[in-house]
Amino acid sequence: AAASRRPWRLFGAMCLLRLPRITQPLEKEEEEMAALMGQIELEKSHYSDHEIRKLEEEERLKRRKENLDDDDEGPSKTVTMARDLEEKWEQKFLQFQAAPRITDADKNNNRTSLNRKLDSNLMLLVKHKIGNQEQWLLPQVEWQPGETLRSTAERAMTTFLGDHIQAKILGNAPFGIYKYKFPRAIRTEDNVGAKVFFFKAFLQSSDLSQTEPKADYLWVTKNELGDYLKSEYLKKVNRFLLD
Amino acid sequence: SFPCRAQPKKKKVDVRREQAQKDRMKEKLRKLKKIAPEVIPIEDFVTPLKYSDSNRSVNLLLALSPEETERRVLLLKQDETEKKAIQTLVESQQEALKELCLESEELYQAAILRDEGLFPFKRDGPSYTPPLPGYDHPRGKCVDITKVYT
Repeated sequence: AAASRRPWRLFGAMCLLRLPRITQPLEKEEEEMAALMGQIELEKSHYSDHEIRKLEEEERLKRRKENLDDDDEGPSKTVTMARDLEEKWEQKFLQFQAAPRITDADKNNNRTSLNRKLDSNLMLLVKHKIGNQEQWLLPQVEWQPGETLRSTAERAMTTFLGDHIQAKILGNAPFGIYKYKFPRAIRTEDNVGAKVFFFKAFLQSSDLSQTEPKADYLWVTKNELGDYLKSEYLKKVNRFLLD
Repeated sequence: SFPCRAQPKKKKVDVRREQAQKDRMKEKLRKLKKIAPEVIPIEDFVTPLKYSDSNRSVNLLLALSPEETERRVLLLKQDETEKKAIQTLVESQQEALKELCLESEELYQAAILRDEGLFPFKRDGPSYTPPLPGYDHPRGKCVDITKVYT
């Protein structure tokens, strides 16, 4: 097979996803269902050790109050009642402050921060210079002979985010492809257009403060992709994005 | 001091006494073996007595039929959208592989290789609130109260 010049230039692109950190809010039906299941579970359950103890102590207290004259049971022992324990636990719980689900970056709409939209997938978009235009695309670099396309995609990731990035790439096969022809001005017989192969990876390292990105970048959700990507490109990308 | 020998001189009486002791031990062991071994109860299968009649009042309202049907309809709808999404994903991958095959045979072969490092795949699920930076969780003490039967 002659190593003929193929008319298509090959690019490997990486769709790097930061997975959701918190659960999405429940729909109305889901909440009703959850409440119903909880109610059924409660009704089918038995009392726990703590609850049995609490009930017995309440009984004893009631009896002691009624027989105040007869009851002379030696020294009043300072026994910790289950009720007091529950109060103590309640106090401790009220003192605890959980981290907020809506972060500062959400409020400022700072789309370069990873710490936003914690309940959705976030994707990396990088500003590329194509020809003499700047376009927002998934990070991509051109394929070089000798490497597999997966390595090209990995190279794309490390080119823009540095070597310390940790990501789990989902297999050796590409997830999607975007094919386009160059504008007539630069199109030749040997150089008809480009094929961009997309690979998918999950971001593992949660802290990217050490990275020095080499270009403008954004972390966006699937719904926000439309703000940045052209429609044909977006259509192809949306096909392999779940949720 | 005095030069000692490895084994002190045994007198005949001692030898006989030791032999008698050994025999007695052997008899005891044989008697124990004859008795059938005692059964060790499995504590998980035995419900403790305090839980036998402490049921809460059984108040199940079975007027759930409208909610039941709603739930089933909702679950089925989610199933459909998920199936369609997975189908488009697989189609997209097939298309990409086809194009790759047209381009270069070796790249295609490399792409359809099985990724050995992918499985076992581990992923932590989402929690209700994000982790609080610098939070020192209270550590508890666990006392093991399992009964050991010899």
